[in-house]
Amino acid sequence: MVPYETAAAAPPIPIGNPPASSSSSSSNTIIPKPPEIDGLLAGAGYKVRSSDLRHVAQRLERLETAMLNSPSQQLSLLASDAVLYNPSDLSTWVDSLLSELNQSQSLPSLPSDLSDLMSNPTALDGSWMDQQLPPPTAAVHNQQPPQLTVVTAVEEDSGIRLVHMLMTCAEYVQRGELALAGSLIQDMQSLLTRVNTGCGIGKVAGYFIDALGRRVFAAGGGGGVPGGSAYENEILYHHFYEACPYLKFAHFTANQAILEAFDGHDCVHVVDFNLMHGLQWPALIQALALRPGGPPLLRLTGIGPPSPDGRDSLREIGLRLAELARSVNVRFAFRGVAAARLEDVKPWMLQVNPKEAVAVNSIMQLHKLLGPGSPGDPARPAPIDAVLGWIRSLNPKIMTVVEQESNHNQPAFLDRFTESLYYYSTMFDSLDACALQPEKALAEMYIQREICNVVSCEGSARLERHEPLANWRERLTRAGFRPLHLGSNAFKQASMLLTLFSAEGYCVEENEGCLTLGWHSRPLIAASAWHAVAETAVGAVSDVPVVGGVVL
Amino acid sequence: MARSNEVSINESKMVVPLNTWVLISNFKLAYNLLRRPDGTFNRHLAEFLDRKVPANANPIDGVFSFDVIVDRATNLLCRIYRPSDTDEPPNVADLEKPVKSESSSTVPVIVFFHGGSFAHSSANSAIYDTLCRRLVGLCRAVVVSVNYRRAPEHRYPCAYDDGWTVLNWVKSRAWLESTDSKVHIFLAGDSSGGNIAHHVALKAAESESGIEVLGNILLNPMFGGELRTESEKRLDGKYFVSVQDRDWYWRAFLPDGADRDHPACNPFGPKAASLEGVKFPKSLVVVAGLDLVQDWQMAYVEGLKKAGQQVKDLYLEKATIGFYLLPNNAHFHTVMDEIKKFVSSNC
Repeated sequence: MVPYETAAAAPPIPIGNPPASSSSSSSNTIIPKPPEIDGLLAGAGYKVRSSDLRHVAQRLERLETAMLNSPSQQLSLLASDAVLYNPSDLSTWVDSLLSELNQSQSLPSLPSDLSDLMSNPTALDGSWMDQQLPPPTAAVHNQQPPQLTVVTAVEEDSGIRLVHMLMTCAEYVQRGELALAGSLIQDMQSLLTRVNTGCGIGKVAGYFIDALGRRVFAAGGGGGVPGGSAYENEILYHHFYEACPYLKFAHFTANQAILEAFDGHDCVHVVDFNLMHGLQWPALIQALALRPGGPPLLRLTGIGPPSPDGRDSLREIGLRLAELARSVNVRFAFRGVAAARLEDVKPWMLQVNPKEAVAVNSIMQLHKLLGPGSPGDPARPAPIDAVLGWIRSLNPKIMTVVEQESNHNQPAFLDRFTESLYYYSTMFDSLDACALQPEKALAEMYIQREICNVVSCEGSARLERHEPLANWRERLTRAGFRPLHLGSNAFKQASMLLTLFSAEGYCVEENEGCLTLGWHSRPLIAASAWHAVAETAVGAVSDVPVVGGVVL
Repeated sequence: MARSNEVSINESKMVVPLNTWVLISNFKLAYNLLRRPDGTFNRHLAEFLDRKVPANANPIDGVFSFDVIVDRATNLLCRIYRPSDTDEPPNVADLEKPVKSESSSTVPVIVFFHGGSFAHSSANSAIYDTLCRRLVGLCRAVVVSVNYRRAPEHRYPCAYDDGWTVLNWVKSRAWLESTDSKVHIFLAGDSSGGNIAHHVALKAAESESGIEVLGNILLNPMFGGELRTESEKRLDGKYFVSVQDRDWYWRAFLPDGADRDHPACNPFGPKAASLEGVKFPKSLVVVAGLDLVQDWQMAYVEGLKKAGQQVKDLYLEKATIGFYLLPNNAHFHTVMDEIKKFVSSNC
């Protein structure tokens, strides 16, 4: 029973992991991590360098004293109002709490860190039990081990049988045994009629059987997404937006971060990588209108696919947003950039002014750049690198990134299939909490298209190459970006929004400065924010293909 | 105030390794921020701060895990941990493969209730995920970690009800049966989890369900009473825990108007029914000598003995709360050995 390629055969996740932590799925070996991190605390979810332990301990002592000395009212204020970030980084977290408390107390300022570290016999009274710490075991779940997150509902037997068959079928597909796969598909289709497709795995099995069928039976390989006009996609997207909180969470969290990043700037420019109906922007426009000190001049550049029928849909959205901005007295300018693919966009099209504060907003777009790109010149950078490169050259104050939290881009088909089966069945399960029709049915169709793309497409047609947060962290860091942590205020507001608008079962989690939204214990979508570190060389000579539909 | 604080910090520093001190002190201070004087709890901040880990169906160190929704109505989730003999990931359709197909000897199923004084932590908290994984390897068991509803949003008896629901669910899973066609169930928990284990076992014994619990493992179980015991007075605030915070958590969990002699808190107190003649499982009770609640825990042990129940107590003189969270001290290994013996002696 070997459903997965063994470590020897499968290449590691192509992210440039250091060889020591290359992600073999069989993990009998100890996963080494930076040797200076305390392995036991890492297993508890905290990143502290062993050499910092004493220092952190001292700060904790100070913090305790400070908390004891502060009136309880002040503590409540600290708990409710202070914005805290990234609790995994204990050292920084303790220090930030300390400075929050010190700001409101008139204590003499603390000695510098350096003097703390110098040996001070009176302060370090008790002797620590410096036991020989055992070498870190591989209980480092916060590193990058391959994750396969499964939440199941109680299933009936035929549901389980269906899953068995799906996995077997996917294995046949991986091995190229299409005839066997095909006949299994037919068996599954008949079993499907006898399964409870009301919830859980049974529900989503139908979509996966369909997607497998497209892959196996399609002439010429590479089954397409059913339907697929941009207009239809927009409609389905809109219903997905209404039916469940994932997109609302994405927009809301990104807007929060953008608003904060724009603080103090009078000219701001948002570049939206996928405008759709511009659903994200009314809230930001209104928030900017209410900003103390008055709103900035807001420019919005919306990127989207060209409209086939001669309509200029980008412009129409822009006009509506302009209308809204006018009604709340926000000076606003819109520009649409029509491009079939993000990699076709060139930075000059965005007309970024060096004096503006720029926010780049990517809601579930970056993964589309992980494919092979156009064939031809092998010296050209991969699409993702090219795009990240020009984003960086814009020197954005912030880049907000929201991506599906799953690995649907593994090289082996069976791995992708398995992960997506569990990912989408969790997502469907969460949709069941939505009672509204027709939003729910259309939202399901939206998701179905994603499933089809993941399962039945390959090469440049396979756009839905979702990768988990850990991969994006690595990739963005390598491309010269640094994280802007989302804090406890964003967390709290996202949680509150959820309780207001959604069913119980959705949960927001904090993950080292990023926020995830998931269903029960499974994160499904991850939001993060970034900024570029200082650039030296800027600007590429652009060759000038004309892109239609540029509007101002 | 500052002086006694200094004293307590110094004392606690001397008895635990540095990283343990950092971990537990961090919890202590964070928890101080979460408990409000008016009895409400800053749940948003609590969830923000809690370090969680997702389940992982790929085996790590011979253990894989997955989450199950046991009761949709209350969103009751459990995390299941299973041993894996191979390094190969399981075919995920085989997550609920019958345990008897993998082992001809009996497979204990440990229903685990995480601690947190009824208010903190979750089944997917990193510290408890780690602990449960350890139990799997130690006992060659399947561990079912219950994500019970917490106080103060959900008071007594919610946590017990959730435990009872999971116990019934576990009993009825064919895939958890050993070769004798029975599910071999143990209940385990630390702090509030230990308290929950007691009450769920009691319910099983007193109900006509026919559910047999083979043993209870209580690590630093959370009990109390109206009386202030000697250990509470002596150790108040000395080793990470204070009487004041214990009182807060009882007020958050117990029904409005109840006092700490409520049987949930004080199972052998003046308001509790006798356990004599009840078919209660054997118990392993681990008591940390630096836990201020130890007098209540020893009273619990005495209570079980007086009621003719089988109980082994393990008193660890120099242990503080939370010693079992990191494997860096002798007590940890002592306790793990005892748990292993306790579980295997029945199977």
